[in-house]
Amino acid sequence: MSSHRGKVVLVTGAGRGIGQAIADAHAVAGASVAYLDHDPALAEAAAEAARGRGATTLAVSADVADEASVKTAVARVADVLGPVSVLINNAGISPKSGADGKRAKLGEMSAAEWRRVLDVNLTGAFLCASAVVPGMRAAGRGTIVSVSSVAGKTYCDIVGVHYAATKAALIGFTKHLAGELGPDGITVNAVAPGRIDTPLMRGTAPEANEAARMATPLRRLGSPEDVAQTCLFLTSDNAAFVTGQVCDVAGGWLMT
Amino acid sequence: MIDFSGKVLLLTGANGAIGRAVARLFHGHGAACVLTDLDGGGIAGFARELDPGGDRALALRQDAAQAGDADAVVQATVARFGRIDALVTAAGLYRDRLVSEMSEEEWRQSIAINLDGVFHVCRAAIPHLAEGSAIVNIASMAGHRGSYAHAHYAAAKGGVLTLSRSLALELAPRTRVNAVSPGLIEGPMVQPLIAKKPELITNTPMKRLGTAEEVAGVVAFLCSDLARFVTGETTHVNGGLHIAS
Repeated sequence: MSSHRGKVVLVTGAGRGIGQAIADAHAVAGASVAYLDHDPALAEAAAEAARGRGATTLAVSADVADEASVKTAVARVADVLGPVSVLINNAGISPKSGADGKRAKLGEMSAAEWRRVLDVNLTGAFLCASAVVPGMRAAGRGTIVSVSSVAGKTYCDIVGVHYAATKAALIGFTKHLAGELGPDGITVNAVAPGRIDTPLMRGTAPEANEAARMATPLRRLGSPEDVAQTCLFLTSDNAAFVTGQVCDVAGGWLMT
Repeated sequence: MIDFSGKVLLLTGANGAIGRAVARLFHGHGAACVLTDLDGGGIAGFARELDPGGDRALALRQDAAQAGDADAVVQATVARFGRIDALVTAAGLYRDRLVSEMSEEEWRQSIAINLDGVFHVCRAAIPHLAEGSAIVNIASMAGHRGSYAHAHYAAAKGGVLTLSRSLALELAPRTRVNAVSPGLIEGPMVQPLIAKKPELITNTPMKRLGTAEEVAGVVAFLCSDLARFVTGETTHVNGGLHIAS
């Protein structure tokens, strides 16, 4: 597989979990990687750890739901690492504000929570793409990968309706932009993880995770690295003619 | 990052454009390659060119429609290299024919090669698939969307998609099973189509045909450890034509 040397990769939500694994995988493949996270301490710790392994990294803090914040962060990445050639829209939230400590159901979900999830998970992807696409157009190439979810394709009882709606929306976002940006040499794809063992998932009841494991043909929860490797493929030359695609990384769960 | 050293590939339809590209890529990544094709002379020549010493290539004639041929190539693979780590089915037959003018024989021949052929070789390989192995079946955009004047081909490829998912269920967790659906790929198969419908390129977001190498890259990914949690999945390689559905 081709090296990612010379590529400048911006990963949102890179402070932990799947985002950190995606950023780390690109760093190992030789790319310069910007670790963007809402939490500056998480961003710095993740970027620093990768630097310790010899990678070229930068920690940036931004709220992806805020246009000015995104623009400032992208400008800083361009100043330090160069123009972004790969954008990974990973930042996402999945609030667990229900009475039982699980996701809120309709009726107990506030409009404010609904809006915040849409702002971060969906508008964040729009704002980040808006900020980096002019540079990709100028370069005549670029790659965008958004982290959707199996929950965007079918019912998944551990997330709220806001999360599912944004993950489905990212699929439309991906397919539409693949059509719009293809002539500019920019590929746009998504990954749809199934049950992945992440900090976001640890709050889930053990029996729910066991049920998910048994429903998964490969008989395990996925790891963040599993998702990262499919992202790395989509940003590599091996996937040069792949665009508008949603790749499940779900161990065969549901085969949506 | 992909390393197939010590791995054994069994590839059908290996003398076609996509088959050759898959063979070159896997061989380049260190795999031992068993290459089969209906054109026994052609594949023998290609194998010699790929691996002049013959240490990591074995060429065999195989009629995909014949269950006995599938058993024979699997036995020869195991006799020579001991097991199968990757099975890639690229053998296929693509002929123009409207349903209104299609004989039963033409229908059955297409199903026999494009669908039965995948069943025969997958079934034969199952006892010899190594822990962590992978099957990739080459399907087609036709299998998702239908294809004017290729109903037999499209129906068979649609069958390949669901055969692949069913095998993913049956063979997990030992073996992962995925499909790749190429769109319009450079080569003799699509030239007549593009001559008739040049707008197909205009309608492709990436504004060009794909290459066999670009299909091979996706196949290699799906067979590699990079895709270790990917099974029952179909990956489109079509430059966004019809936006991958």
